Amino acid sequence: MIAGGVAMNADEARADMASGLAMANTCAGCHGTDGMANGPAMPNIAGQPANYLIPVMKEFRSGERYSTIMGRIAKGYSDAEIEALSKAVAGWKWTGGAENPKLAMKTGETIAMVKPALAAEGEKLAKEMKCTKCHEDGGKSTEDDMPRVAGQHLDYLLFKMEDYKDEALKMPQPKKMKKRMDKASAKELEAISHFWAANK
Amino acid sequence: MIVVGGGYGGATAAKYIKKADPNVSVILIEQNKHYYSCPLSNPVLVGMRDLEVQKWGYEGLKKHGITVVHETVTGVDTGAKKVTTAGGVFSYDKLVLSPGVSFNYDAIEGYDEAATKTMTHAWKAGPQTAILRDQIDAMKDGGTMVLVAPPNPFRCPPGPYERASLIAHYFKTKKPKSKLIVLDPKDKFSKFGLFQSGWEKLGYKGKYLEWVPAGEGGKVTRVDPKTNTVYTEMDEFKADVVNVIPPQKAGKVAFLAGVANDKGWCPIDFKTFESTMAKDVYVIGDSSAAAGLPKSGYAANSEAKVAAAAIIASLQGKPAPMPTYVNTCYSILAPNYGISVALVSTLKDGKITKLSGGLSPMEATPAFRHQEALYAESWYQAIMNDTFA
Ligand SMILES: Cc1cc2nc3c(=O)[nH]c(=O)nc-3n(C[C@H](O)[C@H](O)[C@H](O)COP(=O)(O)OP(=O)(O)OC[C@H]3O[C@@H](n4cnc5c(N)ncnc54)[C@H](O)[C@@H]3O)c2cc1C
Ligand code: HEC
Ligand code: HEC
Repeated sequence: MIAGGVAMNADEARADMASGLAMANTCAGCHGTDGMANGPAMPNIAGQPANYLIPVMKEFRSGERYSTIMGRIAKGYSDAEIEALSKAVAGWKWTGGAENPKLAMKTGETIAMVKPALAAEGEKLAKEMKCTKCHEDGGKSTEDDMPRVAGQHLDYLLFKMEDYKDEALKMPQPKKMKKRMDKASAKELEAISHFWAANK
Repeated sequence: MIVVGGGYGGATAAKYIKKADPNVSVILIEQNKHYYSCPLSNPVLVGMRDLEVQKWGYEGLKKHGITVVHETVTGVDTGAKKVTTAGGVFSYDKLVLSPGVSFNYDAIEGYDEAATKTMTHAWKAGPQTAILRDQIDAMKDGGTMVLVAPPNPFRCPPGPYERASLIAHYFKTKKPKSKLIVLDPKDKFSKFGLFQSGWEKLGYKGKYLEWVPAGEGGKVTRVDPKTNTVYTEMDEFKADVVNVIPPQKAGKVAFLAGVANDKGWCPIDFKTFESTMAKDVYVIGDSSAAAGLPKSGYAANSEAKVAAAAIIASLQGKPAPMPTYVNTCYSILAPNYGISVALVSTLKDGKITKLSGGLSPMEATPAFRHQEALYAESWYQAIMNDTFA
């Protein structure tokens, strides 16, 4: 980003001077301190690979990837800034996430809770439906551009499964994943979500 | 380092200074043992949510090595660099003030601090929230409630209208012969179109909720707490429950420190949040005059991080880094019905300048509104932990 002797434009200056970390820290209001969110729905982003974060942020920005709010936020960052803040996020550690006692109280919205029986069924289904070909290691893999799904918040996984199934949203996804998604029923995807959410 | 006020701004500043440099000694002075969050206190008013979910303590901050002192600050001497409390005097190198807002009790005749015992403001969460909740709960079906909205600028621009929505929802589902009248000294407000269309779609408008703008005589001039009556220039409203959100200014500490201007807010350098009226004093959160950012919990959190980075840089003799701000305010109009406004901004030509953001779409599927309602809850859980844990 800092080309020797060449004057930086304003965006580059922000990417450099604010440092990726300062920008990434502003995401914490939604994604939690150091990228570990507290549930029930906003995703943990800590330690997701930069190869996943960078294109996803750019797809949010262009509108190619459906979102409720990330599109509006991602438009505030240049390519250089997305790269800088994604590297900071990728450097954070996925810590397994502490239980959040406040979520056990009456909060006004209906929050999904992991059901162990459903999770056990989901573990089988993920194998049968070959999700595990890519989401290896019980969903913990972060190889190359693979986002970790194990230990992700249940309501988030349930939302994403709906979004991927919704033809109108045209969610970007690998061809082989789409094929399997098309075949999967809502019930099966729900079970897989319970499995991954439980697999901390 | 001394931080005064352990709310959204102050607690975040204390934590992020420690996170950046554990060797800096940080004392947080906060008058209360527990903090009750205003964000998501509106659902509490209509029984959707427990007040307990709003309550946070300071153990998390102590774990970061922050010294928490529960005292009320009664004086600040920015020349001698001293902060006075009943429990003692503290010296500082750098001072962060995040005292929230105080109320302007001269603005509405008859509305003073004593009046708030029955005509609540519930604009600082805690006991006030509980009183108003109980009043709404005890109100008979067929009753009338009046909500007096504040003039700009005030804490949480969409807040009064989220409150109005949820009360309308409560009447619609629990007390269908009742009505809420919102008296407003303004003709427009935050997320205006989204609220108006939500009130239409959810069947509140006219039936359970009537909004009276300034142009139609919405400005309240006087209240009478004895008879629960609210007077506008042309009309009077006798109600079963009255909620007055008064005009606001910076927290009292800002005036004690002499860092508030004649408009009642604290001018700051937008790059660092250092006061332009006193050196080594940083004013963040609702009290600051941060043109371009709303008075919200998220903005306070974002400003705290900017100030923390600037303070650390200054202690190391380095120039302050380029600031970056994010804000989002979610509002709940009914269970499973959320809307939002987002903002990403930076410093350009000495001003806080919008880079991106905006409102949820006017036309959205029920699934979209449902996701935003649940994301609102998530936002709350995440930011409270970012602030207090
Ligand atoms: C109903 C409602 C809903 C809201 N919803 C949202 C929302 O959804 N999202 C959002 O982002 N914002 C929301 N807000 C706004 C948010 O609450 C404020 O913007 C935020 O609290 C500002 O933080 P602060 O640090 O400036 O002040 P505060 O959080 O009020 O903290 C100030 C602290 O200073 C302490 N203090 C004051 N004076 C002294 C003294 N003399 N000595 C010691 N301690 C002192 C107080 O006890 C308090 O703990 C809402 C507000 C309301 C009223
Ligand atoms: C106001 C809330 C909010 C803020 C601020 C926010 N996010 Fe998000 N983020 C969300 C939500 C909600 C989603 C789910 C997609 C959607 O509906 O927008 C999400 C999704 C994501 C995802 C996809 C995660 C996955 O595994 O699918 C990434 C990556 C991400 N955000 C990164 C960031 C970064 C980096 C920032 C800061 C620059 C940021 N977010 C700021 C709310 C937020
Ligand atoms: C060919 C490889 C592949 C297969 C097979 C696959 N996935 Fe994925 N999956 C990915 C990649 C790569 C991503 C991230 C990129 C993206 O979302 O476009 C992803 C993302 C996801 C996400 C979103 C994670 C997040 O954080 O947002 C979910 C949920 C998911 N997959 C579920 C499934 C399920 C369920 C199956 C099987 C029915 C499956 N995947 C099969 C490669 C695969």
